[in-house]
Amino acid sequence: MKIKINGEFQTIDRTSLTVAGLLTLNNVEHPETVSVQLNGKFVDSKLYPTTNIQENDEIDFLYFLGGGRGR
Amino acid sequence: MKGFSTKAIHGSIRKHDPHGTLRPAVYDSVAFEFQTALEMQQAFEGRRLAHSYSRISNPTVEEFEDRVRILAEAKGAIAVASGMAAIANVILAIAEAGTKVVTSKFLFGNTYSLFEQTLKPWGLQVSYVDMTNPAELEAAIDDKTRAVFLETITNPQLQVADMRTVTRIAQAKDVPVVVDGTVTTPYLFKSKEFGVAVEVISSTKGISGGATSVGGVVIDNGVFDWNKNPKVRPWAEKCGPMGLLVFLRREVYRNLGACLSPQNAYLHTLGLETLDLRLQKSCANALHIARSLENSPKIKRVHYPGLESSPHHKTARSQFTNGYGSLLGFCLESREACFDLMNKCKVVRRATNIHDNKTLIIHPASTIFCEYSAEEKAKMEVGENLLRLSVGIEDAEDILGDLTAPI
Repeated sequence: MKIKINGEFQTIDRTSLTVAGLLTLNNVEHPETVSVQLNGKFVDSKLYPTTNIQENDEIDFLYFLGGGRGR
Repeated sequence: MKGFSTKAIHGSIRKHDPHGTLRPAVYDSVAFEFQTALEMQQAFEGRRLAHSYSRISNPTVEEFEDRVRILAEAKGAIAVASGMAAIANVILAIAEAGTKVVTSKFLFGNTYSLFEQTLKPWGLQVSYVDMTNPAELEAAIDDKTRAVFLETITNPQLQVADMRTVTRIAQAKDVPVVVDGTVTTPYLFKSKEFGVAVEVISSTKGISGGATSVGGVVIDNGVFDWNKNPKVRPWAEKCGPMGLLVFLRREVYRNLGACLSPQNAYLHTLGLETLDLRLQKSCANALHIARSLENSPKIKRVHYPGLESSPHHKTARSQFTNGYGSLLGFCLESREACFDLMNKCKVVRRATNIHDNKTLIIHPASTIFCEYSAEEKAKMEVGENLLRLSVGIEDAEDILGDLTAPI
């Protein structure tokens, strides 16, 4: 399945995939702390396990941890 | 995992430690390396899960934050350098010059100072109300109000406001309720169940393991739509329910430099594991001591929400689980009588802190509130004859013997 993650196309070797499954593939241990937009709309974290990702979907992850600027 | 103790001890049962450590590893590193420039860019943009710099996030601190999140059943948590840093971070994130915070006339002395002496000169407006008076609270909230702020049990007055009423009034006006839950912690008070948007805690106290080190935590319960706050809205539009926490992490908290050290985070994570046991003992001690002091003819008044005679007992009983806290106040004849009692204490220690494993006594009017005028202290009901006792986990009779023998 070809999908766009954080602006970059990726090919995932799956025929079906949920948001929760995609987060697992990305080694995210606490999915509830990640903001996920699917085709521009926020997905409720409770619905990650049941929200299916389709071919050509655009997914944006924004992680709560890390980021910013050190010295 | 459902039980508080199990969650406190096991947290999220992390899977990836290469050595299978049973204790959180202390990642005492300022910076973290990336394999490629692209990974580094993605991490800085928040699009890759990685730590970059410990002022912003750190794996050991993350372990503590995650344990708190799980215990509070919250959306997320950010650990900070102290309880005061937690309050300052939240207020600076959600309010600005020309906006208003409605708060209780009963506040911890340093919190009052933060509002009056630090934030008012920057243009923040602050209204002080009686949180047990719904009409007064409702009248104080206007379209400039960005938060209602109160303590779960006020320190040192031991007042308990009806939290359901407070959150109902604030929610009707799209204003988040921010609660200082230091005295209660999630073991005694489940702030999310009462509609509290944000809970701040000084983890220096019970959570650290009985005053082992200084720290604090900001907990977002995930019950408030941050699109309703003009300052947080841009972050809510970008990050959804994580808007406030991401705004803090990537701007306010980052820029204020109020991070918790990994060493302190390690101690606080260990402290969480025994929080319930220590609070069970200190709350039981406090109730026993309060009842005994209440029956002492030389004590004029005892403030403790666990006492049936307390005007706040009914409210406290309806919203606290597992006890009424380990903080109590009592009044003697005079300031001189208070000083005399303090000077004769042998088991009870003269120190300014709460939730230490040791029982601590302080005369609030001459210490925590010493910088305020007699009128201000009178408004805050911090009398010259009031003593505050933070009950520890010693044997109750030893504490009581120390307090009653010289009186």
